Amino acid sequence: MNGRSAVDAGNVDTQSHRPRCIHASRSAWTLGTALVVAGLVGAANLRGADAPAKLPLGLPPIPVPKDNPQTPEKIALGKQLYFDRRLSADDSVSCADCHDPKKGFSNGEQFATGVKGQKGGRNSPTVLNAAYQKFQFWDGRAATLEDQALGPIANPIEMSMTLPEMTLKVSGIGGYRKQFQKVFGVDKITPAEVAKAIASYERTILSGNSPYDHFKQGEVEAMSESARSGMKLFFGKANCGSCHAGPNFTDNAFHNIGVGMDQPNPDVGREAISKLEGDRGAFKTPTVRDIAHSGPYMHDGSMKTLAEVVEHYNKGGTPNPWLDEELFPLKLTAEEKADLVKFMEEGLTSPPTKEHDAPKLPD
Amino acid sequence: MFRRFLPQAGALLLAALSVAPASAEVKVSTVLDGLDNPSGVAIHAKTGHLFVATHPAVLRVAPGNPAKKFVEVDAFKTDIYGKGPKYEIGPLGVALLGEDHLIVGDGSLADAAELVRVFKIGATPLEKPTAADNAEFKLGPIGPGDESAKGEGNFYAIAVGPKAFYVTSNGDDTKGWILKCEIKDGKPGKLVPFIATKPLVNTDAPVAITFSPDGKQLVVGQMGEVNMASDSQLSFYNPEDGKLLKNHAAGLNDIAGLAYSPKTGKLYAVDYSWVDAKNGGLFRLDVTAEGVKAEKIVSLDKPTALVFDKEGALYITLFGTAAEGSKGPAGKLVKIAPEL
Repeated sequence: MNGRSAVDAGNVDTQSHRPRCIHASRSAWTLGTALVVAGLVGAANLRGADAPAKLPLGLPPIPVPKDNPQTPEKIALGKQLYFDRRLSADDSVSCADCHDPKKGFSNGEQFATGVKGQKGGRNSPTVLNAAYQKFQFWDGRAATLEDQALGPIANPIEMSMTLPEMTLKVSGIGGYRKQFQKVFGVDKITPAEVAKAIASYERTILSGNSPYDHFKQGEVEAMSESARSGMKLFFGKANCGSCHAGPNFTDNAFHNIGVGMDQPNPDVGREAISKLEGDRGAFKTPTVRDIAHSGPYMHDGSMKTLAEVVEHYNKGGTPNPWLDEELFPLKLTAEEKADLVKFMEEGLTSPPTKEHDAPKLPD
Repeated sequence: MFRRFLPQAGALLLAALSVAPASAEVKVSTVLDGLDNPSGVAIHAKTGHLFVATHPAVLRVAPGNPAKKFVEVDAFKTDIYGKGPKYEIGPLGVALLGEDHLIVGDGSLADAAELVRVFKIGATPLEKPTAADNAEFKLGPIGPGDESAKGEGNFYAIAVGPKAFYVTSNGDDTKGWILKCEIKDGKPGKLVPFIATKPLVNTDAPVAITFSPDGKQLVVGQMGEVNMASDSQLSFYNPEDGKLLKNHAAGLNDIAGLAYSPKTGKLYAVDYSWVDAKNGGLFRLDVTAEGVKAEKIVSLDKPTALVFDKEGALYITLFGTAAEGSKGPAGKLVKIAPEL
């Protein structure tokens, strides 16, 4: 599962927050030959484990680590784990509760709710297209989905299981034991296999094939006139494309856009990881694909609508000493703001799917 | 005749630096230290004088033992680069236009106000520096409009061809413009946006720029995000029509400068490496059809620009890191003997 509030808030860190090792990281991945795993990834829009072989329109091949190749069995196992509340201490919270397919793989609330109703301090980021992200969590403290997957399980205000407790619990479920043996060839389940399985499933949670993707293929009528105007603004006057760039609409970087910086003790964001003052208040650029479904918005979930988001950018963000230079007053008209919202709501929304409905869980 | 000769209090001798060469043969020597955030370097083919963009002046350096430093252009304003660490910057990129003109890309003003200036220069240092405002030609500014939402600025580097020169710019981050200025009868024309790099390579910030040895390709180092590792790109464009010919991940953090060795034809880059300065340095880039292999030649402390002289000696500017308790500028101009 992707970064959730409490882990993101840095309340507890059960993962090693090791800095990203550039060269090691690169060599561990199949760079340049990123795999499209036939039969395992893809589909016409949001597709999952049982999806056909084709990537959604508009998306590049998925990078897959060499030591965790996609297999149908592993993806199916990961999907079960993702939806299984037994991975939490009191069987009340699964990955899917905070990253709900029906809510844009977020949870529709400002913050996530963990075991015993505990609330974190950051919004649940969407898992959509997390496969392409170079960092996970709002502050990017995990480099890979495998690195990220166990964090919320062990976080006491999220799923609240130590990793030994979790593996013991999973090992006690016969159906899982059998699957882990088949998928990984292990009799003793370790956190590493759990992480690999969940990450493999998450690599199938993709958003593409939107009206925008069809428009780019030459289908001019795929988007309304208002959405087309919004698209032009998005990549022009409104400056959105300076950060929300590329097929996944993110530069994979960290920016201070001023959200929360007018509060008494603002969340320092990426600075906590990088130790660079210039990263103060900076958070990872999220994808805006299927953004209409994953509100509320921003790392603190403080904006309920895309109109509020556009207004924030239109005023040039919230002033603070670390505000990104990409933020400046946009002087958008009311019509332009409406067009921008239209582009995001209409142009970047994928067709609905049931591919990520909850699976039957093993006994 | 009075000349603005500024003897260096520090290490003017070509003393070996405490750097970590990847190859035992590579020796890095300090030409000048105490420089204030040097960010660009160019060499005058005839005299061998180096022009170094620093904050807040462009210096002329006569290499030798000791090297001599003169102020060529002064009175630039000051802008701040970065959000922590923050650096005071002035002029950024420098290049020679023939033997008697110096092109200077500005970084001292706000975006949409910055200029590319062209100064008349002589074979010898000036008695009195030329003020920045007294450039023979002022090109720009490029203000807000359809081509640039916020206007252009931070003119990092300049590549000069027979018909035009090209300037990397950092205003509108949805575009990542390379600007072009045609040269007619030895005079610069209008500075205009030419290549929008961002939509082509999905990476921010064209910074380094040079010509391929045959002059047929513009070679551009796309720095990427300063808080992202390994996102720099190496791109090749047709200078005539601006078409992207090829683009590769460079395997570097923040390409700041590019240059071809005149002796070997090999391509070299300096990587500033904002995320971890220890990883910065000089790299040889071996470009194949499959991609780019970056081979580290030597570690350097926040390198920003490089230039070869005609014998193949390599000069590199470094922002450097101030020693604890030190108040003076930490920047340097260093040299690697002709061996690359």
